[in-house]
Amino acid sequence: MKALLRNVALLALAGVASTSGAEARETSTVLVGAGPYKPLFPASPSQTEVHVDAFRLDKTPVTNGQFLAFVSAHPAWRRDRVAGALAEPGYLSRWAAPDALGANAPVDAPVVDVSWFSARAYCAARGMRLPTEAEWERAAAASRDRADGSSDPAWRAELLALYSRPMPARLPDVGTSAPNFWGVYDLHGVVWEWVEDFSAAAAAMTSPSAQLRFCGAGAAGASDATDFPAFQRVALRSSLHASYALHDLGLRCAGSAR
Amino acid sequence: MKRWLLGAALALAACTSREQASSMATTGPSVYAVTATLHDEHAVPMGLDVYRGHPVIVSMFYGSCPVACPLIISHVQEVEARLSPAARADFRVLLVSFDAERDTPEALAAIARAHHVDLARWTFATGSDDDVRQVAAVLGVSYRKLPNGTFAHDSVITLLARDGRPVARDDDPVADVAPLAAAAEAMR
Repeated sequence: MKALLRNVALLALAGVASTSGAEARETSTVLVGAGPYKPLFPASPSQTEVHVDAFRLDKTPVTNGQFLAFVSAHPAWRRDRVAGALAEPGYLSRWAAPDALGANAPVDAPVVDVSWFSARAYCAARGMRLPTEAEWERAAAASRDRADGSSDPAWRAELLALYSRPMPARLPDVGTSAPNFWGVYDLHGVVWEWVEDFSAAAAAMTSPSAQLRFCGAGAAGASDATDFPAFQRVALRSSLHASYALHDLGLRCAGSAR
Repeated sequence: MKRWLLGAALALAACTSREQASSMATTGPSVYAVTATLHDEHAVPMGLDVYRGHPVIVSMFYGSCPVACPLIISHVQEVEARLSPAARADFRVLLVSFDAERDTPEALAAIARAHHVDLARWTFATGSDDDVRQVAAVLGVSYRKLPNGTFAHDSVITLLARDGRPVARDDDPVADVAPLAAAAEAMR
């Protein structure tokens, strides 16, 4: 398993540096099938489900090793060269040097301390993009054995335990947990992940009706008031600025199904 | 860290925080690092830095917006009205629409006419979803397209220095314009 993942990572690295990106994408990503996503805070009362087209998603979060290859190929994204508006001073601050990982940033652990701008640039260099919130949530709604695990009490209990766990000092290597229904690893309980439209979560709280939801009755406007992990993700996304680089926020990339 | 962020986010969502957050002095690195390609009301391609070298107010809106967006435009006009003639001559305004589909160059020009702005110093612009999202991101504007074609967004009005560094912002289009006008005047 470990060896397989390392090969996947190497293929992804090759994808960054060369034109064999399409081939690398086939092995480093999986297809997530089309289907519904139930937003925690629907954009309108009638919109309880959003249709998500099939898309490809990285099996694992982007690793330090992969991001280092990107930064080496695109030095404008080195932490000592990046424009301040595109990444705050904490950008890649776990790394030992602008071009070296060191002990605090294991090569196969998820990269963190990356801004939204840098995350997008990384995916674009692979011919990919960040997943939308709907896509990410669609992939993350799956349990080990079904596309929608929301009605499985055992799965929900497992998630709750994962989200209650403090972050370890050393992040685990990617792909060491069990994959979900789609074959995607590490969506829960390792690091938070950037999505393309992260600010939509804050905008959901900006409209007068949304403010009523939060002021008057806490979770009253939420489609599933018992889904604590979903609240945590919305709360995190709504607190972000695109230049933020946080110790527990990484990324993975997405692409169209074909 | 997770707990801290959660707390911060919940505080952000609390009732009063957004109303209180107006007329803030702010500083930050130049937003002109973003390389988005927009087009103006004459369909001429341009960057976010179209007014580099001038003090400029940048905000985001959409043309069919019933309430907040006309308020944003009148807020900026009030700032402009308070400036000395010399400061006003140097001052620029860039309003970027979320709604490239409906805010065509013709529609943007019509909005400019309806608000009687001086198009020698004001620009109404929009761009692809990707470009608009980058502009919103660097300005810290949260938005979400709604199923009926409108946009939920916050009303962030940012004053940029000549090199694109944010120096002041209003998060409320009905805030007192005096602090923003004073900041713009001071940049002369």
